[in-house]
Amino acid sequence: MSGAQASPLIELANVSKRYGDQLAVDRLSFEVRHGEIVALLGKTGAGKSTVMNMLMGTIGCDEGGVRVAGVDPFREFRALKGKLSVSFQTDRLLPWRTALDNAALGLQILGRPRAEARQIARQWLARVKLEGEEDKYVHELSGGMRQRVSLARALAVDPEIVLLDESFSQLDHVTSQTLRRDFSQIVRQVGKTCVFVTHRIDDALEMADRILVLAAPARLAIEERIPEAQRHDAAFLAQVHARIARAMGGEEGG
Amino acid sequence: MQQQEPGGKHLNPLFARPRAHAGEPAPPGGGRRELIAMIVVVMTLFAAMEIASRFVPDYIMPSPLVILASLLDAMRTEQSHVWITLARLATAVGFSMVVGILLGLIMGTYAGIRPYLRSLIIIDTGIPALSWMLIAVFWFKNPEARIFFILTLILIPFYALNVYDGMRALSRDLVDMIESFRPSRLQVLRYLVAPHIVPYVFLTTRSVIGYAIRMAIFAELVASAVGIGSRMSLAQSTFHIDQVLAWTIFLVVLNLVVQGAVALLEKKLLKWRPEANVR
Repeated sequence: MSGAQASPLIELANVSKRYGDQLAVDRLSFEVRHGEIVALLGKTGAGKSTVMNMLMGTIGCDEGGVRVAGVDPFREFRALKGKLSVSFQTDRLLPWRTALDNAALGLQILGRPRAEARQIARQWLARVKLEGEEDKYVHELSGGMRQRVSLARALAVDPEIVLLDESFSQLDHVTSQTLRRDFSQIVRQVGKTCVFVTHRIDDALEMADRILVLAAPARLAIEERIPEAQRHDAAFLAQVHARIARAMGGEEGG
Repeated sequence: MQQQEPGGKHLNPLFARPRAHAGEPAPPGGGRRELIAMIVVVMTLFAAMEIASRFVPDYIMPSPLVILASLLDAMRTEQSHVWITLARLATAVGFSMVVGILLGLIMGTYAGIRPYLRSLIIIDTGIPALSWMLIAVFWFKNPEARIFFILTLILIPFYALNVYDGMRALSRDLVDMIESFRPSRLQVLRYLVAPHIVPYVFLTTRSVIGYAIRMAIFAELVASAVGIGSRMSLAQSTFHIDQVLAWTIFLVVLNLVVQGAVALLEKKLLKWRPEANVR
């Protein structure tokens, strides 16, 4: 875990959430520290998206408390401006903007002048290997390229925290693998804190420092750490994979 | 009335661009075919008029050459009336566009006001254009006010309902995406809503422009002593059918030119949209 500091940047304490009679999150507690990359892993219906929405601040919790960068993301929604950004399952690019202008969107919302925002966005597009594609419109880009623009857009605002909501799940296997590798490398380089939701064990093993396995209704089934020294240790990863698969009920979610 | 009803269902203008509108450069081959077809139809109509003019009196069907002479004469001596009509049209369409967009945005944003505005607009669309023309004559002394009133009351609902439809078609995913950056309401309007509704505004303009020209002429005929409509009324009352037909030809050409200009502007401003290819 590179650059981790003492105080947690994200903190969930005994959080519960209901939708009508259905319990979506059940007394869930976890912390994420500065510079950590944490995977929320679970099958469909395990409550991953509910937890993600609470971190984004789009929904509040019924019980317990959520703190992100020192504030309640739901009640103090605007206080997280510039501190948190999200990359979604689909690219969610604006079709009337070029790749460059899409990557610059968050910066413009933060009040940066257009020229400056475009300059920073251009650098980020280069980092996600999209040099030369800046002036293309969304329909001229492949699925993988669009998701790269979406990642550049999320990182360009220089947030403290990046949330990834199944950002690689809709891509083909090879593109997804390349993108995961590139993204985790960039996030580690710039020292961002990252929480990502996935239903694929391999995604979590490849990218995360720590894996939180959720079982329905979102409660922590097990927690696994991937020390940097063992990130490429096949035997160690196979053991972790087996433990996670057992905790998830024998198969990956979907 | 051939005009499509306001708020009627359209192809989603965000993702589908018809390959060629009137005046818009069409794909190679297809454009030439359309041009040839247009020339053939025009020549056939002129030939039919010429043949008819030999069998009926001049006050029923004059020769196309006489009509063209009247048209050239009108273009030389009645230019001020053309400009007056164009100015009225531009003012009314521009104002209706602005007010219609605002009403559409309000309907799309404020759920509490929406049913009241929508009811008001739907009632407006149910009132015949002729009723507004007669009411305008009673209510306003100034002919400019009359024509402005008539045209705007007819055009505003088209813009309002189509922009509202556009707001409803706004993807929830895009709203969530932009909200994740914690923007102000004005920023959401600027970066998301405004660019999103531009295609709907163009679609509405293309749909209403021909109708607006017809209504402007009709309104001038009823409520004004200047403008193309009033010239046509004068020509009718003095039994100059050649002038009536000359103005009619001019209005057809005007409609094609305006439609073409709007289509070109749309193509330039909405170049981000892929062309729809239907096999």
